[in-house]
Amino acid sequence: MPVSIAELNPSDRIRRLLKDPLLLVCLIVLWSLLILFILLPLIMLFAKTFEEGGQFTLANVISVFGDPNQRQALWNSLLLGSLVGLCGTVLGFLFAYTAVRTNLSKKWTLFLDASIILPLISPPFTTAIAMIFSFGPRGLITYDLLGIKQFTVYGLHSTLFSETITYFPIAYLTLKAIIAGIDPNIEDMAFSLGSSRLRVFRTVTLPLTVPGLANSFLLLFSASLADFATPLILAGNSFPVLPTQAYLQITGLFDLKGGAVLSFALLVPAFLVFLLQRFWVSRKYYVTISGKMGAQTQIKSASSSIKYLLLGLCLFISAFIFYFYVLLFYASIVKAFGANFDWTLKHYRVVFTEGLKAIRDTLIIAGVGMPLGGIYSVILGYLVAKKTFPSRQGMEIVSMINYSLPGTIVGIAYLLFFNEPPILLTGTAFIIIACYVFRYGPTGIRTTVAILQQIDPSIEEASSSLGAGTGTTFRRVTLPLILPAFFAGLGVVFIRSMTAISATIFLISIHWTLITVRILEKMTELELGVAAAFSILVVLIVFIVITAISLLLRLFRQPGAPEMANILGG
Amino acid sequence: MEAISIRLENISKTFFHRVKGKVSAVNQVSLDVQPGEFLTMLGPSGCGKTTTLRMIAGFERPDRGRIYIGEEDVTDLMANQRNIGFVFQNYALFPHLSVFENVAYGLKVKGMSGSEIEGSVGKVISLVGLKGYERQFPHQLSGGEQQRVALARAVVIEPRVLLFDEPLSNLDAKLRVYMRSEIRRLQKTFSITAVYVTHDQEEAMAISDHIAVMNGGEIIQIGTAEELYLRPESPFVAQFIGKINILPAEVKEVVGEQIVLEILSQRYRLLKGPHDLNAGQRVNIFIRPETLVLTNTFGEGSLKAKVLERSFLGEKVDYLLELDGHLLNVTSYDPFQHGTFSHHQEIGVRFNPDAIHILEEGKKK
Repeated sequence: MPVSIAELNPSDRIRRLLKDPLLLVCLIVLWSLLILFILLPLIMLFAKTFEEGGQFTLANVISVFGDPNQRQALWNSLLLGSLVGLCGTVLGFLFAYTAVRTNLSKKWTLFLDASIILPLISPPFTTAIAMIFSFGPRGLITYDLLGIKQFTVYGLHSTLFSETITYFPIAYLTLKAIIAGIDPNIEDMAFSLGSSRLRVFRTVTLPLTVPGLANSFLLLFSASLADFATPLILAGNSFPVLPTQAYLQITGLFDLKGGAVLSFALLVPAFLVFLLQRFWVSRKYYVTISGKMGAQTQIKSASSSIKYLLLGLCLFISAFIFYFYVLLFYASIVKAFGANFDWTLKHYRVVFTEGLKAIRDTLIIAGVGMPLGGIYSVILGYLVAKKTFPSRQGMEIVSMINYSLPGTIVGIAYLLFFNEPPILLTGTAFIIIACYVFRYGPTGIRTTVAILQQIDPSIEEASSSLGAGTGTTFRRVTLPLILPAFFAGLGVVFIRSMTAISATIFLISIHWTLITVRILEKMTELELGVAAAFSILVVLIVFIVITAISLLLRLFRQPGAPEMANILGG
Repeated sequence: MEAISIRLENISKTFFHRVKGKVSAVNQVSLDVQPGEFLTMLGPSGCGKTTTLRMIAGFERPDRGRIYIGEEDVTDLMANQRNIGFVFQNYALFPHLSVFENVAYGLKVKGMSGSEIEGSVGKVISLVGLKGYERQFPHQLSGGEQQRVALARAVVIEPRVLLFDEPLSNLDAKLRVYMRSEIRRLQKTFSITAVYVTHDQEEAMAISDHIAVMNGGEIIQIGTAEELYLRPESPFVAQFIGKINILPAEVKEVVGEQIVLEILSQRYRLLKGPHDLNAGQRVNIFIRPETLVLTNTFGEGSLKAKVLERSFLGEKVDYLLELDGHLLNVTSYDPFQHGTFSHHQEIGVRFNPDAIHILEEGKKK
């Protein structure tokens, strides 16, 4: 979009900013928040890592990584992340390709979509718990079914398996959008030039999907890198990874500095991934739909035997996922899974008596964080997408930082920064809410920006030509159109408030605790039944809220408003 | 309401393009649109016509020059303070509002009462033939229906000026012809001054009182359709409005107001017109395809030519002829009356001296 010469002059832009006091106030407030809740805590983390008595030093880093165990943790983290990225992308591609390129009936596509919802909305370690029930010392599959007595569930293999199942839905959502975006007419063209199906796949479909595959790999790599709960439950002593080491350093040894250094080590690969995504993958995307859409065509990518083979594979994996959740539910209603299979409600009794405080706290935090996150993301998204002001791009990048970083880093940075005056927030609910708003608000920001970019600027000009001022145009035209983004922002903040743990485990206190933390405690106390009951409760609450939000969305989705991407993606 | 004039005084606009750098979109354009007039800005894409229109609307601000609507200088006014009606190429309907709400939008902004709004909107909606569609949403309508909503929305606020940015380019050919007469009818009904932008010369000729032909950010010529077609002042206008043939010629004699021209070894006597010509001067002439007369025989004033291509189009036949090394487009109407010629046939071509126009050198635009 060409810009007017007059808009290029920086002093001109500042002058224009001064003429728009509302914008100016918004910018000052937003930047103060971004600096306080994103930049300063990170700077504090840097300082703790590289400073000793006012001097720059590498001593902390050298002393922590002099320990071969910590070096092993770094290596393990990278290895695990790469493998999860690889396996999850393969699995995601299998599901995505089957869903959009094999002429599945609507019912089957819906089924595939539904089967990935559960891992997406659960606390990240629910599959880990189900893994223990299936493959643990008294596991349903290893012990009862196969009769293997000496199987060790702890280690790389099970962590990898569990994280792959947990995170591949992200790959599925990413790749499904990409593959669906490839105009089948392009494949038809290749067929008409004499290519076989395999050749079309190899030379057209796959190359066009490569940027999506790369992106999905990076997304899963960083999800795994950041995952804290799964390794804590499944990795065991033989396979230490950075987030768990940092956690143990801080909660076990009360060594804040060591924890800072370890989480800083996590930051390096995470930052690399961020750069790769932003400056490399995003530029590699091909635009295959240009100008007028071609005629609707029957997709011919897969023969029917291939179609049923792919569908069979997907169904097998879906069955596995459903089995995990049925198992989790079963474990929550028997006395002692693996030993005593008598029905009982005692685990739920524990949940609703001694667990009540955690439930209440979590709901309060999620309930307060939800509207704040929604408002924050819609305002910031609107400014970034629609207004020109100095530091616009900087604001967009900074707002994404906490979202891109592993939760462990954010948690430790908050712990370091808000633990002492001038801003003492440790122990309050506010610190947890702030963490969620700035960590999960970006999903809403992205949705807002995406929707605003789809709205033709001439719609706002039309309103202006009919006599409406900026305020009226925003209220009557823009706002109704970005309402879906607002609800998406709400939804994501709520869901993550219910399920996240990696950042907030550092921020809980005796005054404010979270369900996810209670689940982890019950796991370590080996009260697996209670942990399972808590997990079922979280899944239920999230499911109810998601249903409510999608109903609201349907109610408020303006006729003809741009379609919104799945609010859970990313 | 009294119709009002529009006046542009030397307006210019420069954009900054990431690849091309500074691009002068509109350069020193001046224009007078009379009250109640329908003026069309016509030109190829990138000629600055849309930018000019958007400056009249107030969506862009000219870097230099002034814009007047009536006696008022509106250069520094925002779009919402100008009381204009704008019809967009993509209609720009509010997707979240029904047909009724779309049309009522501008009246609501003005703060009119509910009953007044209902009356005005109802009247305009039936005027554009959308009665019964009030509760539908834009995405439920066809392109032509959406276009009519856009039109109704623009006229219902009783604007001083109606502006159209290629409003018909997304419609199919038949609908385009129908809608342009609808637009003209509405403009006359409300007697609103209108500025219309298009790159389609036929559309421009059909709809306008006057046409301003633009190229390279400047207005090349303003006139009625007939003036532009019959008396183009530059090769650009001659070629842009309708089809032409350009041929070299030599001035043989100048006798008072008349000259004798030699074109392809045939001599023709014609009026000198405004041109300053001398004997022996070489000039280019242009001649419209439909003024050429084709005959079965050649000689005696008709030149020998060969049919290279022929397209039968029903009411007419288009020929491409080769004549002494030159290519010539000829349109022959009413083929049943005049007969048709076949491929490779050698035929005669006769020039009508009244239809020969001299193109002056130096006016290359």
